[in-house]
Amino acid sequence: MTTLTVNGRDYPLDLDDARLTLLDALRDRLGLTGTKKGCDQGACGACTVIADGRRILSCLTLAAQCDGRAITTIEGLGSGDRLHPVQEAFVRHDAFQCGYCTSGQIMSAVCLLAEGRAGSDADIREFMSGNLCRCGAYPNIVAAIREVARDA
Amino acid sequence: MTTVERPRIVGAGADRVDGPLKVTGAAPYPNDFSLPGMAHAAVVRATIAAGRIARLGTASAESAPGVLAVLTHLNAPRLGTGPESLLRTPPPPLQDDRILYYGQYVAVVVADTPERAVAAARRVEVGYDRAEPLLDLDDPRAERVADPWGSDASWGDPAAGLARADVVVDAAYTTAENTNNPLGLFTTLAAWDGDLLTVHDSTQWPTQVRAALARMFGVPEEGVRVLAPYVGGGFGAGLRVWPHVVLAVMAARQARRPVKLELTRPEMFTGIGHRPATAQRVRLGATRDGRLTAIEHESLSSLAIEGDNIEPCASVSTAAYACPNVSAKDRQVRLNIPWTSSMRAPGEAQGNFALESAMDELSYALGLDPLELRLRNYAEVHPRSGLPWSSKALRACYEVGADRFGWARRDPDPGSMREGDWLVGYGLAGVSYFWYQAPCRARVTVRRDGTVYVRSAVTDIGTGTYTVMTQLSAELLGLEPGRVTFGLGDTGMPPGPQAGGSGLTAALGNAVHAACRNLLGAFLDLAGADPVSPLAGCLPGDVTVTDGRIHRAGEPWRGDSYTAILAAHGLDELSADGDSVPRPAEESGMAPAGPFGARFVEVRVDPELGLLRVARVVSVIDGGLILNEKLAASQIIGGTVGGIGMALYEETVTDPGTGRIANPTLGDYLVPVNADIPDLDVTFVGAPDAYNPVGVKGVGEIGLVGMAAAIANAVFHATGRRIRSVPITIDTLL
Repeated sequence: MTTLTVNGRDYPLDLDDARLTLLDALRDRLGLTGTKKGCDQGACGACTVIADGRRILSCLTLAAQCDGRAITTIEGLGSGDRLHPVQEAFVRHDAFQCGYCTSGQIMSAVCLLAEGRAGSDADIREFMSGNLCRCGAYPNIVAAIREVARDA
Repeated sequence: MTTVERPRIVGAGADRVDGPLKVTGAAPYPNDFSLPGMAHAAVVRATIAAGRIARLGTASAESAPGVLAVLTHLNAPRLGTGPESLLRTPPPPLQDDRILYYGQYVAVVVADTPERAVAAARRVEVGYDRAEPLLDLDDPRAERVADPWGSDASWGDPAAGLARADVVVDAAYTTAENTNNPLGLFTTLAAWDGDLLTVHDSTQWPTQVRAALARMFGVPEEGVRVLAPYVGGGFGAGLRVWPHVVLAVMAARQARRPVKLELTRPEMFTGIGHRPATAQRVRLGATRDGRLTAIEHESLSSLAIEGDNIEPCASVSTAAYACPNVSAKDRQVRLNIPWTSSMRAPGEAQGNFALESAMDELSYALGLDPLELRLRNYAEVHPRSGLPWSSKALRACYEVGADRFGWARRDPDPGSMREGDWLVGYGLAGVSYFWYQAPCRARVTVRRDGTVYVRSAVTDIGTGTYTVMTQLSAELLGLEPGRVTFGLGDTGMPPGPQAGGSGLTAALGNAVHAACRNLLGAFLDLAGADPVSPLAGCLPGDVTVTDGRIHRAGEPWRGDSYTAILAAHGLDELSADGDSVPRPAEESGMAPAGPFGARFVEVRVDPELGLLRVARVVSVIDGGLILNEKLAASQIIGGTVGGIGMALYEETVTDPGTGRIANPTLGDYLVPVNADIPDLDVTFVGAPDAYNPVGVKGVGEIGLVGMAAAIANAVFHATGRRIRSVPITIDTLL
């Protein structure tokens, strides 16, 4: 038995299968389906979550590695009914279409801003390039992050 | 009533109504659903491209932990075939021992957890009798299909037109196979309850999934419910009922439990279609002053051995330019490859690359500005039928685009523009997209509390259908958008067509238009016949709707609210259906027009390193009436990114020896990333289209078209190198 701490809440987890990834644990065991699986190979960024303040790919992380780490998922952003400023900016700038990569984009953007790496459009583009958007919303993603960085 | 001549809500760049759900991770995609007792399926795929299954060993898999069922062609139920349709359902899987492509399903394993299903699937042993696969487009042994869709066209005398031309361009172009790769892993969750079947599915066409599954499993359509409220992208991949959908339903019946089958990324390369490769030849003849005397366009594209695929490439040349002598011929060649199928802008993407590249070559051969060449051959009427277009603002696209881009700054000599180490090139392409529309039905309900529910069994794959139909319904009923909810993605709703062919917004918009008109008629049937109503004796033509009220036109004080009319007649709600059926072109006296566009591109090429960057793109689009400018611009932006992918990065590589897809991951199959894309300038021009009452034209695909040619043309301008094959890779620029 291990404990996953997700969005400030402790979830006991029966590690009956050591192959269980953090991504599948979140989605299949904890019912937190906001984190998405796009490739399960660490190539698309859709599964990005925050672990102890750093963005990680939950598909390349075993659940067994997460005992005692503080995980934040898309469900943990914002407060109550209030959206996080990055979430609001994504809506305003239409920074998504199908919405499938969006959770990962937003988690990356939140970290990018916290890391102070959103100083220029070129930086935003570069540091957001680990998150694929097949709908092609990239310019709007940059616009949304630029706005939050400017208002910060 | 029920016109959008002076729109109030339509057109505004409203935020997506489903935006808050999507940014909080709360929008449920098919793989987000779970059911009690749900089991998980994993597939086993063929490791040869042609031949037969000689041996099957399933005992080890069957005895693996947690395994509930192992299905192969030896024990799978025999199934019927799907309905005849524009986009035919592939034959059901596991019906015989034949292997037609590498990656074909040969078994499905069901277990209690996904990990156990995947582990057990690896234990299935398959031996093959191998045959020699057909893999090359030019393999002489491969079957060729001539004029597959009856779209070949010829008028005038193209040979004579070429013979009397002052200048002739004769060039061959190729485009690679591309894979749709929506980011959402295609998933089917199937649950049987007796003969009743419920399916969550990654589809662009729920009504087709219902029809196909009912026929294949021999159950009534009314007992099959298909749900797809959110889909993680499609780009055409969700237009067919693919074999994995059938496997999930089959597995659920066998295991007597709900079964979820989620494809892996590599399986997304073989199981849900991909854009065919093409080899094309274009011959253009022109007079010295740049008038086209002939266009001949031939295309050959790849096709699965038992597949079908609507992908007219050469047809592009029958609608683009005024020319007295035109010939367009499409051919397909059957190969041992996974099914080729629609990928955003099928046929147009590749055909436009060839035609618009050839036009650029012609402009240099003539010493004429590429923009001027296009304007000199502008098709004021449809070049084939001679009928006036139902709308066309392509000239404005060129003019506005040239101005926004600064085309006049272009030095016509290749290699003449430079910035530091970078060669700078300007290129353009024009686009005349095809028209498509299918029948659609929508239902609208006004409730006693003043809320309105509108729905149709269509999908919103990210295109914005939820949002624009909410806006349109509110506009047509005289309500604030906040009162309106639009529902979709459920076959319990009235049937709708696929989200495809850039045809859904027109089909659905006009069905919603008809439903709202019929609903107003139903309200007037009540109020008009009520002698004490201020609307007594009114017919639909006599009234206007504003602020939730129906009132006499020009007399806003003489009317009644929807809710008051319902209350007066003791009704909780009132509903009406509306149908849209595209009218035959012959009756209208018009050539139904799709969207038009002009694409202007600036590239930077580092000739020492072979680096190629897209620095700027200006797109000007005639999309008829634009229902939501923000979301429509997103469609163009997204299409442009897809077009940059096609032009620079995307190539599905088939291993020549085995027929295996050699790059079936998002690490190996390159798609554009954020750093590859500059800011993209999008402008809409034009007027509401005359062919349908609402006046819309679809903009879901045109954003991709023209990018490959405009980029290749810009590369020629930058470097003097004519690249006739996409993707344009570093080696071709060194």
